[in-house]
Amino acid sequence: MEYKLRIGDREATVEVNTIDHENLDILIDGARYSVDHSAVSMHHLSLTIDGRAVNAYVSDSPDATQISINGLNYTVRDAEAQPSTAGRKKSRKELPQEITPPMPSVVVRILVSEGDTVAKGQGVIVVSAMKLETTLFAPFDGLVREVRVRTGEKVMPGQILVDIEGAKNVPPE
Amino acid sequence: MKFKRILVANRGEIAVRVMNTCREMGIETVAVYSDVDRQAIHTLKADRRVPLGPPEPSESYLNIDKIISAALETGAEAIHPGYGFLSENHVFAKRCEDEGIVFIGPPSSVIRDLGDKITARRIMVGGGVPVVPGITKEEPDSAALKKEADRIGYPILIKASAGGGGKGIRIVNGSAELKEAAVSASNEALAAFGNGAIYLEKFLPKARHIEFQILADSHGNIVHVLERECSIQRRHQKIIEESPSTIMTPELRREMGKAAVAAARASGYVNAGTVEFLVDDNKNFYFLEVNTRLQVEHPVTEMITGIDMVRRQIEIASGDRLPFRQEDIVGRGHSIECRIYAEDPENGFFPSPGKITYMREPSGAGVRNDCGIYSGFEVPYEYDPILSKLIVHAENRQMAISRMDRALEEYVILGIKTPIPFLLDIIRSGAFKRGETFTDFIAANFPDWKAGHGESDLAAVAYIVNALARKPAETHAPTGGEAEPSPWRTLGGWRM
Repeated sequence: MEYKLRIGDREATVEVNTIDHENLDILIDGARYSVDHSAVSMHHLSLTIDGRAVNAYVSDSPDATQISINGLNYTVRDAEAQPSTAGRKKSRKELPQEITPPMPSVVVRILVSEGDTVAKGQGVIVVSAMKLETTLFAPFDGLVREVRVRTGEKVMPGQILVDIEGAKNVPPE
Repeated sequence: MKFKRILVANRGEIAVRVMNTCREMGIETVAVYSDVDRQAIHTLKADRRVPLGPPEPSESYLNIDKIISAALETGAEAIHPGYGFLSENHVFAKRCEDEGIVFIGPPSSVIRDLGDKITARRIMVGGGVPVVPGITKEEPDSAALKKEADRIGYPILIKASAGGGGKGIRIVNGSAELKEAAVSASNEALAAFGNGAIYLEKFLPKARHIEFQILADSHGNIVHVLERECSIQRRHQKIIEESPSTIMTPELRREMGKAAVAAARASGYVNAGTVEFLVDDNKNFYFLEVNTRLQVEHPVTEMITGIDMVRRQIEIASGDRLPFRQEDIVGRGHSIECRIYAEDPENGFFPSPGKITYMREPSGAGVRNDCGIYSGFEVPYEYDPILSKLIVHAENRQMAISRMDRALEEYVILGIKTPIPFLLDIIRSGAFKRGETFTDFIAANFPDWKAGHGESDLAAVAYIVNALARKPAETHAPTGGEAEPSPWRTLGGWRM
């Protein structure tokens, strides 16, 4: 059976064959690996890959699995499932009037009110995480249709904070 | 006077660090904590705890009234401020003095004088300490600024007198940029510190940041406790520190140490402090500023000298004399510290708060991890992103680098992002190994750093094995101990 995985920005085709309950034969983009595995705990896998011992540490989230091996971190997801971050990115491209924070943060100042006219590049909202303040700007000229958050609220990337309706005939970026 | 109880007015790794020494000295500790830090490690560690309320710093760790009343309420005779928050706030130190609580740090007047960079420059010039060529008074008039800039030559640096954290600093390469830079630096400083005063200094593009730890008791004894080099910085924030510096010679150390002690004497310093210098390519050194507190990077000094800085601070604050003289202080081997921040190196080093789902700390000979987090802890949004400091000690620099490499490889933090892969790339780089560490190191060597693919096939294998093992671990987790998942139970899900 074949699977498509996304590891960081690499997409890999993976084929898995079970030999027995501890041994797998895994083909990754044509490279074949003989894998012996056991789970030390929910977050710690002991792998032997072609004779080489590897400790892998894993943490699942609904979007992706975070994996740490020898100090390097990998974000791996099933490329065929529609991960919500990719989905968000896509819809952002289609609907660029959405203003969303680059990191999990707290709203510190809202610089506009509903019904305000804003110009492209005008500061709309200021968010802060761990003492770093970031101003989010209007991506184009338009009208503030909705401010969806309040000062002090915790917000996540992908969440729309302020909805701006583009001025007529202004093509989205 | 021996303290029975000390309140630690801080959080995270530094609060834990201070409490460790208190415990070793038989002193009880009082933690203060905000609503989001009810289960923070410093809160869990203390002998007594006092809630401060809402998480905003102004309502909690920066709230002088609340912290003073917590100390009075719990009968703490002294307050250790850690670094950041109120540690360099002379109003807070004065308030402690007025309330009869010992502030573990210098007198409030010294904090006030050295906190103002123009005043500090003036004190140093008076004490015979070399300063970066520039002016020692605030100069709002751009014509006067321009005259001075022309005299010392470009590039120059515009700095805020009240500056800190990289705010209110502008590099100016020519007279055409001067006016605009002065106005914007002044505005930024006014917004950040409530004080728009600026001054200018010669900018040294190829310089190292080398600082000297000093200890001064209240009986007039002052020593320096060797140097630390902290040239590896990003956004004016140190990320890797080491001791000794690769360019240090016994002569230079003697000279700079003497200047550091002179700086302490000129300012009437008492307790632990750090005198920062810039050192140019010809080993000329210039006073930068004095940090009137325990530094983040104090552990590298502790590792090479064996001196417990927090114990010395507490003993000095209780009126003890320094138990050693300058000639007793010697360094052994080499120590390096890497700061582990909650930040995403793949996303412009933006802060990355959130829940730590799993962590595993490195250990072994010569490895120390001053840590403010644990598995299951939710890293708050409101505070400084420092999670822990990984420190190594070894016989020499090369061995210390190898040890840091191993320790970083063993360090697992999942659930949030950390710069561990970036730190590994830095310490593995030729420039770092050769000791070519200047303040422009990151810009010169890693301008657009991106994580390499590493061994992503291994990650793919781990993902598959985890996917096979995951479901029973979640649904059949036995009580007590972690589940021992078997891929047999999940193979159906993978339709092999």
